[in-house]
Amino acid sequence: MSTSCTTAPAPHSKRRRTMSVSRRKFLTYGTTAATFGGTMLSRLEAAMRRRLQTPYPGKLQSRAPRRGVSSDPTLHRLVERTSFGFTRDAYAQAQALGFEGYREEQLDYESIDDSAVESMLAPYDTLPMTEQELYDSYSGNPTGTVGQLTDATMLRAIYSKRQLYERMVEFWTDHFNIDINDSFCYLLKTSDDRDVIRQYAMTSFPELLNASARSAAMSEYLDNYSNIKGHAQENYARELMELHTLGVFNGYTQFDVEQVARCLTGWTYIRRADLAILPLGTFVFVAEKHDNQEKTVLGQTIPAGGGESDGQAVLDMLSTHPNTAGFIARKMCIHFLGYDAPEDVIASVAATYLSTGGDIKQMLRVILQPATIQYLTTPKLKRPFHFIASLLRALDADVPIPSSVKSYLYIMGHLPFYWPQPDGYADKIEVWGTAVLPRWQFATAIAYNQFAPNISIDLDGLLTSEGGNTPGEQAAALDRILTGGQLTDEEVTLLQGFYDGAAGTYWPEADTLRLAASVPTFQLY
Amino acid sequence: MPNLDTGCQEYRELSRRGFLRSSRAMVAQVAAASVPAWLPRISLAADASSRDTLIVVFLRGGMDSLSVVVPYGDPNYYASTLRPTIAIPPPGETNGAIDLDGFFGFAPAMGPLKEVYDAQQLAVLHAVASPDTTRSHFEAYDVIEYATPLAHDTLFTGWLARHLQTSPPIGTGLLRALAVNTVLPRTMSGAPATLPIPDPATFDFPGDAATITEARAVLEQLYATTLEPMSSAAQSTVDTIDLLNSIDFDHYTPSGGAVYAGNAFAQGLKSVAAIIKAEIGLEAAVVERGGWDTHSQQGAIDGGMANNMNLLASGLRAFWLDLQNYMDRVSLVVQTEFGRRADENSSLGSDHGYATAMFAMGGNINGGQVITDWTDGELLHPDLLYNGDSLDMRVDYRDVLAEILDKRLDSQAMTTIFPNFTPTYRGVANG
Repeated sequence: MSTSCTTAPAPHSKRRRTMSVSRRKFLTYGTTAATFGGTMLSRLEAAMRRRLQTPYPGKLQSRAPRRGVSSDPTLHRLVERTSFGFTRDAYAQAQALGFEGYREEQLDYESIDDSAVESMLAPYDTLPMTEQELYDSYSGNPTGTVGQLTDATMLRAIYSKRQLYERMVEFWTDHFNIDINDSFCYLLKTSDDRDVIRQYAMTSFPELLNASARSAAMSEYLDNYSNIKGHAQENYARELMELHTLGVFNGYTQFDVEQVARCLTGWTYIRRADLAILPLGTFVFVAEKHDNQEKTVLGQTIPAGGGESDGQAVLDMLSTHPNTAGFIARKMCIHFLGYDAPEDVIASVAATYLSTGGDIKQMLRVILQPATIQYLTTPKLKRPFHFIASLLRALDADVPIPSSVKSYLYIMGHLPFYWPQPDGYADKIEVWGTAVLPRWQFATAIAYNQFAPNISIDLDGLLTSEGGNTPGEQAAALDRILTGGQLTDEEVTLLQGFYDGAAGTYWPEADTLRLAASVPTFQLY
Repeated sequence: MPNLDTGCQEYRELSRRGFLRSSRAMVAQVAAASVPAWLPRISLAADASSRDTLIVVFLRGGMDSLSVVVPYGDPNYYASTLRPTIAIPPPGETNGAIDLDGFFGFAPAMGPLKEVYDAQQLAVLHAVASPDTTRSHFEAYDVIEYATPLAHDTLFTGWLARHLQTSPPIGTGLLRALAVNTVLPRTMSGAPATLPIPDPATFDFPGDAATITEARAVLEQLYATTLEPMSSAAQSTVDTIDLLNSIDFDHYTPSGGAVYAGNAFAQGLKSVAAIIKAEIGLEAAVVERGGWDTHSQQGAIDGGMANNMNLLASGLRAFWLDLQNYMDRVSLVVQTEFGRRADENSSLGSDHGYATAMFAMGGNINGGQVITDWTDGELLHPDLLYNGDSLDMRVDYRDVLAEILDKRLDSQAMTTIFPNFTPTYRGVANG
């Protein structure tokens, strides 16, 4: 598929070592027929022996223990879990501030100077635009708006110093999923991303929910704009409870769905861009379309004549509901602590939700404690976007044209804003863990600077900075660059052996780097 | 997964099958009946040629069966309270349905499949559902794909995965199944030797040819002890790279005059066809198509849904033409998570409903019929609608899958695959 063009600035990268075109061919060839015959039969035999010994276990197993490091493992995990990937700079900052200092700095995200990434984003003209402005300039041009929003998301994940904030933006984007390709959401999602998700990602859940319920993009995506008296449209009402607040059939019934839909009749937005009265995207409550009769939601009576307050009453009911607190708490704990986040921490976070009115920073303080971080038994799998961002972060890559990675994000199934269903991209190892080859392919393309000058790294400089020019130290240097020393002893040993055996081939350093970024530990965090 | 059309890849003639045939010579012939059902089937079994390749086409979103297979013979379908705007007219009228059996008809956009139906290799089933009436997409995927109606959160393996777990591999068993997708669907959760392969033509180990053996060895060794499913997937991946490299996708030419459109769905079927013809031991594949959640502006005559139906029907027809010489060993089913309400909504669309339609296609499928029980020809009567708004169930979708697994895939483990269920065979398949 072709990658889309963006209105990106001129490349600002330095010269990088690049491959000549003739050399690139080898990157896509598999085993040749000549070697196929001899090795094939023995490989088949070995495969059959493995089948005998290791039937599919169907559940998580512990991985090999981490290699000992001189640094603070709790601090290390905090950096990994609150960012889109370890960098030596981020870890140095954490060492300087200590666990709580680093966490508090990240929570107070607005006080972090983020001018570097903001200047990268300055040429993306759509980011500050309203729906009306986007219509005026980009109507019929989804590639423009979608491309810029996706590029911006990638650039922020790589370069923003407000990493915890960006991780929460990711979390809420999935939670309040909107398919940017649905209807004309390509003109609406930019505002939702900026004015709903990014505005309230670190404030309180009720504020976030209230903004989402009035979001033009959400109204279009889940059809609430067409939810009118006499012809209820249940789509948003259902997902509001099932996915956004209580959780699937966790305290509500089909009857409640119908009643909530009635409460939300008349909640719509200006869907036309050619009306001089109000701009495209403006939330409006249309009283004539509202079902003003009495309703019953979750056992509570909502008296007749409430008008717009019916819908707000539902939102208030849901955002203060204990099941919502538990649902949000569980998802946030899994996001930061792992698939098996401990129940007592989840309960504590839920209690914090209820006692603080859904204060997101307070909930994060409960989650991000040395004791909870240390609890981790099994690591999480980096989802494809995170994997790509973490590699570019660790390698200090220059990324003037972030859209270059789109074909990989597509083949990995993780293009931002492209998930069609309201449940958002899943965060489960079962979902993402079988597609290992695209990761190996991406790691190889980056390591060999195949994207240059759109994306480039200075491998020589990186290795030099970590003593990787000393014989026998290449793998250890790559380990420190990519993970801060978290690769297992086995991984480092095999990588070094590979490097030594690759002497005389085209580019052993890049070859070894791509393997290092392909090993299991780098897929996990 | 993202539902993008990639377009632009062309396949031509196959090559390299000769080598693979000789590798099958090492397959031992073992009588399957002598091995207890509970024993892991590790021996290389016989009867490979008598088991069909099963293709599952999953339509995501809840396909509106009342538009795809129009019950024009039911007078209630044309009641003014139901679908005054979006009903499809009966055969003979402008934009009328294509008659199938004097009662049901295809939407005009489903036209390409009429030939397959007339050739009696396409069976239609209507009023198909599970006992679970959930109208949540995600719950329904769990229910349908894990095959756990009314028993959520009890099993997290797909029914097809359980079939693969309880049956011996064909041939080498290195790639037993694949999803033409970037991630495995629930249907395949837990399936052995199964991978998501969005594009089989580019499933290659990357990097320097001079070090490829060593590089693969490093990753194979390291992934052997990591978390699942990465560990099994890595092993399957390196095995599959070799298998798929033996197939020349770039020069694959479809047979029978079949023309596959450029969309991802058709191209996915095309690559599955190429793999079937290569006879590398593929036992099952899942291909998906989204866009069926037609809440507004349904457009079943000349809008979005019509485009989608045409894409579906054209793709399936091309697949059928291409595999004419293999159809006696192929069974394909089309399913969706639920149907849609009998009445249209205020946006000229339809909301989530209950029972829906299913298709079965293959050389040993009893095609040319619509299998259902339409209760005196009026299943859309107000008194018979489920919850007063949706088509009610007459056929359990597991009846169809079980019959095909039994008669066409020689399954011996129906109670494992569909626990707490006794299927009623509908005469969908021979065998």
